[in-house]
Amino acid sequence: MANRVFTVQIFFIVLRETLEAVIVVAVLLAFLKQSLGARSPAVHKQLRKQVWWGAGLGVLICLILGGAFIGAYYSLDNDIWSKSEDLWEGIFSLIATVLISFMGIAMLRVNKMQAKWRVKIARALVTPPASKAERFKFGYLVKKYSMFILPFITCLREGLEAVVFVGGVTMTSPASSFPLPVVCGLIAGIAVGVFLFYGGSTVSLQLFLCISTAILYLIAAGLFSRAVWYFETYIFNQQTGGDASENGSGPGTYNIKKSVWHVNCCNPETDNGWDVFNSLLGWQNSATYGSVLSYNIYWIAVIVTLLLMYYEERHGHLPFTKNLTLRKLNPMWHIKKKGKNELSAEEEARLFKEANRKLVEQAQNFGESSELGAAKVEKVTADDEATALK
Amino acid sequence: MRLSILSSAFFAAAALAETHVFNWTTGWGTANPDGTLERPVITCNGEFPWPNIRVNKGDRVEVYLTNGFNNTNTTLHFHGLFQHGSTQMDGPPLISQCPIAPGDTMLYNFTVPDQVGSFWYHSHTEGQYMDGMRGAFIIEDPDMPYDYDEEVVIILSEWYHDLVDELTPKFMSLYNPTGAEPIPQNLLMNNTRNNTWIVEPNKTYYVRLINIGGFVSQYLYMEDHTFTVVAVDGVYVEPNETSMLYITVAQRYDVLITTKNDTSKNYAFMQMFDDTMLDVIPDDLVLNATNYIVYDENADLPGQYMVDSIDDFLDDFFLVPLEKEELYEDYDYQITIDVVMNNLYDGINYAFFNNISYHAPKVPTLGTVLSAGENATNAYIYGTNTHTFVLQKDEIVEIVLNNQDTGKHPFHLHGHVFQVVERGPTFPDDAPEPYNESAPYTPPEYPMRRDVLYVNPNSYFVIRFKADNPGVWFFHCHIEWHLTQGLALTLVEDPLGIQANETLTDNWKQICENVNVAYTGNAAGNDKDYFDLTGQNVQPKDLPAGFTARGIVALVFSCISGVLGCVVIFWYGMADIPDMEKRVLADLNIDERAFLAAEDDEEDASADAMGSTINALSKQGTTHEITTSH
Repeated sequence: MANRVFTVQIFFIVLRETLEAVIVVAVLLAFLKQSLGARSPAVHKQLRKQVWWGAGLGVLICLILGGAFIGAYYSLDNDIWSKSEDLWEGIFSLIATVLISFMGIAMLRVNKMQAKWRVKIARALVTPPASKAERFKFGYLVKKYSMFILPFITCLREGLEAVVFVGGVTMTSPASSFPLPVVCGLIAGIAVGVFLFYGGSTVSLQLFLCISTAILYLIAAGLFSRAVWYFETYIFNQQTGGDASENGSGPGTYNIKKSVWHVNCCNPETDNGWDVFNSLLGWQNSATYGSVLSYNIYWIAVIVTLLLMYYEERHGHLPFTKNLTLRKLNPMWHIKKKGKNELSAEEEARLFKEANRKLVEQAQNFGESSELGAAKVEKVTADDEATALK
Repeated sequence: MRLSILSSAFFAAAALAETHVFNWTTGWGTANPDGTLERPVITCNGEFPWPNIRVNKGDRVEVYLTNGFNNTNTTLHFHGLFQHGSTQMDGPPLISQCPIAPGDTMLYNFTVPDQVGSFWYHSHTEGQYMDGMRGAFIIEDPDMPYDYDEEVVIILSEWYHDLVDELTPKFMSLYNPTGAEPIPQNLLMNNTRNNTWIVEPNKTYYVRLINIGGFVSQYLYMEDHTFTVVAVDGVYVEPNETSMLYITVAQRYDVLITTKNDTSKNYAFMQMFDDTMLDVIPDDLVLNATNYIVYDENADLPGQYMVDSIDDFLDDFFLVPLEKEELYEDYDYQITIDVVMNNLYDGINYAFFNNISYHAPKVPTLGTVLSAGENATNAYIYGTNTHTFVLQKDEIVEIVLNNQDTGKHPFHLHGHVFQVVERGPTFPDDAPEPYNESAPYTPPEYPMRRDVLYVNPNSYFVIRFKADNPGVWFFHCHIEWHLTQGLALTLVEDPLGIQANETLTDNWKQICENVNVAYTGNAAGNDKDYFDLTGQNVQPKDLPAGFTARGIVALVFSCISGVLGCVVIFWYGMADIPDMEKRVLADLNIDERAFLAAEDDEEDASADAMGSTINALSKQGTTHEITTSH
């Protein structure tokens, strides 16, 4: 992370978050066009304006907040890190690995994301106000400006997420390494998002996502290996009472007992250019057993996880187990979901009926071929129940 | 004329020669020389410090040294003595003798026929002398060429709070990969801090400044007084007045100091660390040590005396010996050595001449010389890791030393004083400058001679001497830490001459037998085939160069797993998700599920069913609110 001008991780994180925001805005716009474009051009235009205002304002606010956050962070005394710099580098590399690992999987399933987003948009539109009082206060305003609020919230959320990720991934980078990759990430994200969503096919979007995910995982594997490397360096420096690796490359800068290779050049911490190689691929001129093993172990973990996910997608559960899914392995699932959103079959059936009723009711109010819609809703609900019962 | 005076002096001294017998037993006691910590020190017959010895030119010295330690060997070296015909009394272990085992007694028996001035003695075993086993050794000159009123010996050193036995394992460690030398705690003068030297006004003192330290060089300067240098390392020089001296460990400067008329005030005599030799400078390390030149014991003691610059110290290179010896114009044999610090395969930082870090042979080199017969002229039998050169009788030897290290090093040659032909200035760390023999250079007509010479960082020196003293002589850095790291080589000077001159004493052989060290055979202890060095001591292997098989395998595996991971990401990412909508539904709450289902239907049917529920809903959901807002 020694690059003073361009931090690769920041670029990819900003790119990814921008892409997500662009997709949401694009989904919204498509949705509006589909629903209103032909029939009420005036309303369509107005709502479209709302969308753009919301998106724009969201981006603006999060740029301000992000700038303030990072500015404040860097105006604080940075020396707290430098004392045991290797330890902090290790910890932040580890945090960054975890963040990027989870982000990457989500990115692979961004088409899933699109479907999710359509639902969320729809939910915002359809959810009835809880009480009469709310209708005239918050709920009313939300409804009125939903086409503003949705992109606003989305862009803000993605933006802040980017700020947090960027902050977490690159705590120890110099402040000067921020602006350029952020701007580049924004431009590239918007360009790619617009191009792929409007101009390209789903396949090319998918391909692009695969490429960027692969790059993200290359970065993450490198970060993980680096985290281990930094921990080892920290321990070695504790033992030597000095800062051996700060002296650059060559004899006396590393622990020979743990060395797998050491070349007296291409040092990512001191030699220009190699830090990019280090950020992207985890290059070390002084590799240790720990750094090499962790790099390989990380990839094996990624490969196994993806294989399991693939299997689960085909079979509904993990291999050799009937009831276990990946999400059930996550402890958070037990805390958050269990008992709350998991409904019994009976409950679920009841709720679906209720929802169905509401939907039909609403549709009928506007007297437009409600029968067809209701019937279809019922059909899907039945399918869903079948899946749930299975 | 001069010669006749010298030779008559010699015979006069020889006639009066007496024998000094010393019975010394080493041991451990405690002392607190720097006034801050009582610590174990090596004692002489239970006393600390060790005595300063004074003999006359031509006298015989007999030191019966008994090793009183429980578990360490020892030796004694008289620094600067030529040891003509008595190389076996020189002292360095496994060079000219075997280490003296605990309980054993060695007799050091030699004469000092042709040297006068300031010398010193110290243990030559494993940095031992830094724990206190050292003292001044003065050879008085019956024909002193300079007038003075009184003579004073001032011994200087640095002082550690930890024992060498504790410091060495930490120093020679995987966890000291940069070879950082232990940092001393204080500077001592005459084995104390804030030493008081009581002087009388209007007198000239002949002061013998002897650095008996093991590591750091010192700057010396006095408040309103000057040094007039008249001898270095036992060689008289033409008087040279200076306000500041730079003295490395093991060097000696004999100076004249003339006191003032006035007795109203006392003056500071400062010692200062050459802090460029310290790897780190701890916050609590006092770099300036203040001592007192006291004219009036009732007057105030002076505070520390500061100078603006330490650059103007006397450059010993320009001193001219009183006894003129012309420059040896040409050398017969040249030894070129590069000083390098590097790590070997055990991770420890070693010091090298060229690529060899001195590792002692299994048989003292002198033992090999005396047992090898004609083979003694072949350097190979002394081992490949002892870095031995065989010198021919009376040839002019030139040693070119290129310092590729960034530190100063004081180098010491046993058995000789050498002519200093050239010493380069300090060069920057990124551009060390080796000696260039063809560069135009005019050497001094009468070069300075001494036995310890420092080399500047990244620079070089060139010295010459005549191989007229048969013996086995060590050439090494006098920084004890660097000697431990192997910064040494062996000169076997006229081996056949040694065989002709010297027979080993029974006591010498007994020392070897008692410590179970062979004294015949080659460096590996082989006395059948002197060219078979199997089993000799060697330095650890070199560090692997860049990528070894292990590194290549690791790199290839890492690349494979990276590529494989990317392939799996593509395969998974491009694969369709079966029942994707349903899967999304499963994540949603009831309203969302219902809504989505409805919307999907609309999408499916959008071509013909223009007014589907969802379309209507969305239209209603938004337009309704907007209209109501009017």
